[in-house]
Amino acid sequence: MPTTDAGPPLEPEEPPPIGGSWRRLYSVVLIALAVEVVILYWFTRAFS
Amino acid sequence: MTNLDWAILVGTLVAIVVYGVWKGRKARDLEGYLLAGRGNRWYTVALSIMATQASAITFLSTPGQAYSDGMRFIQFYLGLPLAMVVLSITAVPLYRRLRVYTAYEYLEGRFDLKTRSLAALLFLIQRGLACGLTIYAPAIILSTLMGWDLRRTILVIGVAVVIYTASGGTRAVNHTNFHQMLIILVGMVAAFIVLVVKLPDQVGMGDAAWVAGKMGKLNAIDLSFDLQNRYNLWSGLLGGFFLALSYFGTDQSQVQRYLSGQSVAQSRLALLFNGMVKVPMQFFILFIGAMVFAFYQFTAPPLFFNTEEVRKIEQSRYADEYRRLEAEHRKVSTEKQQAVRELVEARRGGEQGLERAERRLELIDGRAASLREEAVSLFVANDPGAARTDTNYVFLTFVVSYLPAGLIGLVMAAIFSAAMSSTASELNALASTTIVDVYKRMIHREGSELHMVLISKLTTVFWGAFAIGFAMYANRLGSLIEAVNILGSLFYGTILGIFLLAFYVRRVGGTAAFAGALIGEAAVIWCFRSTEISFLWYNVVGCLVTMGAALIIETAIGRRGSAESQA
Repeated sequence: MPTTDAGPPLEPEEPPPIGGSWRRLYSVVLIALAVEVVILYWFTRAFS
Repeated sequence: MTNLDWAILVGTLVAIVVYGVWKGRKARDLEGYLLAGRGNRWYTVALSIMATQASAITFLSTPGQAYSDGMRFIQFYLGLPLAMVVLSITAVPLYRRLRVYTAYEYLEGRFDLKTRSLAALLFLIQRGLACGLTIYAPAIILSTLMGWDLRRTILVIGVAVVIYTASGGTRAVNHTNFHQMLIILVGMVAAFIVLVVKLPDQVGMGDAAWVAGKMGKLNAIDLSFDLQNRYNLWSGLLGGFFLALSYFGTDQSQVQRYLSGQSVAQSRLALLFNGMVKVPMQFFILFIGAMVFAFYQFTAPPLFFNTEEVRKIEQSRYADEYRRLEAEHRKVSTEKQQAVRELVEARRGGEQGLERAERRLELIDGRAASLREEAVSLFVANDPGAARTDTNYVFLTFVVSYLPAGLIGLVMAAIFSAAMSSTASELNALASTTIVDVYKRMIHREGSELHMVLISKLTTVFWGAFAIGFAMYANRLGSLIEAVNILGSLFYGTILGIFLLAFYVRRVGGTAAFAGALIGEAAVIWCFRSTEISFLWYNVVGCLVTMGAALIIETAIGRRGSAESQA
């Protein structure tokens, strides 16, 4: 985590309203990116 | 434009201004004015983030980019989702914990005042000039194609934005951005539907896409690694990642959007939403450009889309020669349309005859390209400063030539919305940084909240006037516009380096960070002036050199300190 020298403690981490956990949401975003790259590559090959 | 188009355009602009002023009427203190009381929900923040990044140039120039260069520009955005995840983990909770108003405010606590001031200054220079360009760039295109007075167009965009941004602050900016983004999306979808409907009867969208692909426009992913190649998967993932990290993590025009979130969760959701939607959205915009290209294979395009250059040549001694080129271009276009239809038929009929049809189209396409090159040579012979490309005018030419009454007004409203949303966020951020990092920090620390809000409004008006003034003058700057255009990549890497040191390298102090930043910036400028490296890599260079130099300097300072204490 980033370093900081000042500031009050952070409020307790609020879970996301969907997905259950932040780690899961981050995974969804990264997997979506991987899928997008694959689709774009297929798109390029299919129409070249 | 018909009366209906004007009614839709003017009505939309007036509604945006009135809505913005009304929405921001409650700001009584600095947190309310600069950060909307930190009370926005994720969807308001998310669309505001998207509207801030998507300026009018995105919608005017990006389809044109696909028209001329294909869809490989999509790779520019592939690093963005990665950056959204990193910022959700790091910057959002940190900025929230420290309750900062600007990203640079954080740097003083971590380093010192001079490092904070350096980062704030780099931002004010870069964003101040870019803000003028955000107004000028769409204005010059609209003025050229629509015959509107350039100064009046600049004033309409600029003054409308200043009114609601100055009066309503961040709450006005975020809420108008939200609605402007919806207008933009509706406008683009409408344009796409008309594009598909306007294809010839026997040609479906699949045929048009196939033709665009055959002619090299659906080249979304390039796996080759080449530092001089602007757009490939690696420059997009790595260079684009650093650029997005810097832009969304350290540029106040974006940081201010998610600082206004209700909570860490709401701000994170907004960033992650942007990470999910950005690439598909840009794909759609680029695909529109590729489809416009396909459309103009079945319908004759102009020889050159920039009507200002055409007007100049027609009034010059090269007029006859240009008309000859246009006549030749009309003949070649007719042949090309026939060749494209034959290609589509050959595809339907199986592989037989397909190769012959492809070769014929390639030959005719080559002749068309030569005619365009000859036309550009004439423009330059007539005026050495003439524009050599017309990509910015392609999409708008299609819109005004083929969209029905009403939809032209809608697309124009979308373009104005895009210009205004980006400009509003930039003015809002410039005012915040000026007030928080300069005025309140160094000039007048003890002012009342009402005093600070009033000064913030006046500062917004100042930056608005500066941006409008720069936009008015930009027409005369020629090649300097090109330099301003890549200003982001000249500074972002260095600023990111400062922030990454602040976040993750505890042992580096203010002096080393400051000196490292100066060295990093020098390295980027050297790359710009002395190498052919693509601009996306400047962000990586600036960031890594800043961090590396700071670490070396901190080590040297530490060794000298211990040597002196032993002496």
